[in-house]
Amino acid sequence: MFRKTFNNLPRLSQLYAVPARLQNTQAAQAPTPAEPEDIDVIEQRILKHPDYFQVNNLFTVRDLFNARVHYGHKEGSLDDRMRPYIYGSRLGHLIFDLDKTASHLRDALNFAAHIAFRDGIILFFNRNAINAHLVEKKAMEAGEFSHTRFWRGGIFTNANVQFDAVTRLPDLCIFLNTQNNVMAQHTAVRDSAKMAIPTIGIVDSNCNPNLITYPVPGNDDSPAAVELYCNLFKEAIWRGKRKRRELLGLPPLDETQFKSSRSRSSKGKSG
Amino acid sequence: MSLRVLSLNLLKNNRNFLQNAVRNSKGPGAQALAVAPYATQVTVQATPAAVQKQKVSKAMKAYLERAKEHDDFMKTQDLEFQIGKRHLANMMGADAETFTQEDIDEAIAYLFPSGLFDKRARPAMRSPEEVFPARKAAEFDETGRPFHSMFYTGKPNFFQLLHDIVEETNKLYDLEERMLRRGNKPDENQKLETAGFQLLPKDQLERVLVEHIADIEYQNFTNAMDRLISLPYSYKSKAFIERYLKPLIDQSKQLEVPKPKIDEQGRQYITTYECLRKTARADVTVRLPGTGKITINGQDISYFSSEECKEQLLFPLNYSEMLGKVDVEANVEGGGPSGQAGAIRWGIAMSLRSFVDQEMIESMRLAGLLTRDYRRRERKKYGQEGARRKYTWKKR
Repeated sequence: MFRKTFNNLPRLSQLYAVPARLQNTQAAQAPTPAEPEDIDVIEQRILKHPDYFQVNNLFTVRDLFNARVHYGHKEGSLDDRMRPYIYGSRLGHLIFDLDKTASHLRDALNFAAHIAFRDGIILFFNRNAINAHLVEKKAMEAGEFSHTRFWRGGIFTNANVQFDAVTRLPDLCIFLNTQNNVMAQHTAVRDSAKMAIPTIGIVDSNCNPNLITYPVPGNDDSPAAVELYCNLFKEAIWRGKRKRRELLGLPPLDETQFKSSRSRSSKGKSG
Repeated sequence: MSLRVLSLNLLKNNRNFLQNAVRNSKGPGAQALAVAPYATQVTVQATPAAVQKQKVSKAMKAYLERAKEHDDFMKTQDLEFQIGKRHLANMMGADAETFTQEDIDEAIAYLFPSGLFDKRARPAMRSPEEVFPARKAAEFDETGRPFHSMFYTGKPNFFQLLHDIVEETNKLYDLEERMLRRGNKPDENQKLETAGFQLLPKDQLERVLVEHIADIEYQNFTNAMDRLISLPYSYKSKAFIERYLKPLIDQSKQLEVPKPKIDEQGRQYITTYECLRKTARADVTVRLPGTGKITINGQDISYFSSEECKEQLLFPLNYSEMLGKVDVEANVEGGGPSGQAGAIRWGIAMSLRSFVDQEMIESMRLAGLLTRDYRRRERKKYGQEGARRKYTWKKR
């Protein structure tokens, strides 16, 4: 629906010449409209701003380090396409260059916030059983969607048959890990590319970043790291949503209501 | 139902739209505050800085179309049903306004008698709501955004259930750790009693969730629930666990042995009614102490002429070593000798439960004495001499 308009979204790393952690967090000036505008116009205008949702103040490189984002897999499993993001190796394990990771993550967060601002549907993926519950919970808290289970083929490519009705597909897929198992990539990565759905993916040193729109090199296994990613994306999404409601003059949503996962558990569907 | 909810939503949106329009007409004077330059802080303003065009997604349009089609269809079906009902009422000379479904069934059975064995194959007339299955309501709002966070898995209710189980388990883990640190132990008295209960079987769970689940998914559910139940503090999640437990009624009912009553002569007795075998039906009274007297329809054991039938009758008494210690009285009707003997045998065995110990009851159960024999006569087939036997046939 609004995929085309994102072509002119500048990447943060290109705009900021200074190192990420020294970035300016001052408020940028936006023109004040005299009369209510159409939200579409605002959506277009804020794209020109390099960091409208101030995602650069969400985290520091030290946060990444503390959450063990820099740990890669063993040297032997390195995918050659991940070589540019590797800092070096220690005791046979690869270490990510966190400066590069940070700039990629900021791009990704910015993009996620813009999608959320435009009322997009955001779908979280994760096939690692240890982190599955965490991801589902965080997706609920963000008021968004999750898929941490076996991927039935054709959910995107054959959606109208799979769901027995015309179905709106997600506008952004966030992969907390891009592998289905150690050997194979998640089919949804390929399917999103087929359906022109933009993707954000945490790519570890053994993953292929080619089909991911916004790859973020980093550790995709440790619960601490996954929790950090989830919290960052959640906050970015909420910034986008809050801003939209504010511009439309709607009262802010009660964000704690999304935390009670039980409320919808036994909802019947016949009608 | 679904449509009603939907129209309510649309109404709400229209109201929003109206409000926006009103705000627009206020003009620039009302614009008191500037828009915050970025979204880290939220300011609620008197007037919105932006308006949104009402968009209805393709998904919702398609759903509305389908819902309308279905509604029209149901409307015509209902009309036809009302006319049919009126016709029937007129034919039966009854008032069409007070003609109930029961009357309809009676009228059809009278006017269109059918020799078909299967009741579902006979002619019937029911209201269209009963005949046509209910349709799923829309699972997304008018922008096409699904309601459920796990919508894209295709089985949102089931995976939500698994999510909830893990949520409970994690809660109990936390609790256990806190208690351990404080040196507390789980309360043995409050321990969750799951004997006599079982997890919901797959088909019932499917009905609760309104979703089809695969065998392996059901296995995941049972594994997760077993793990939750086995935790030392599982009694804290009792309310949650009990929602997915089902009492084993049949077994527990059979375990209950009736207490013997006392008759005028001060003897203990127990009567078992409805002892069935083939087409025979009996009620059996066993009295303790006795001399081994057996009365069947006023006669003694010579009521049965064949040896096998007598053996059948005596088997439970022999087995439980009560022969000669109890008196048996039986009233039996219907069926042939073997059916009657079988019915009385079952009745004696069931009654004897009250006079023997638990071990013997279990032994009798394993010997098959307490099991009802449901076998019936098999029908004769055409082209055959009997149920299985074929006519004599010689090729040359």
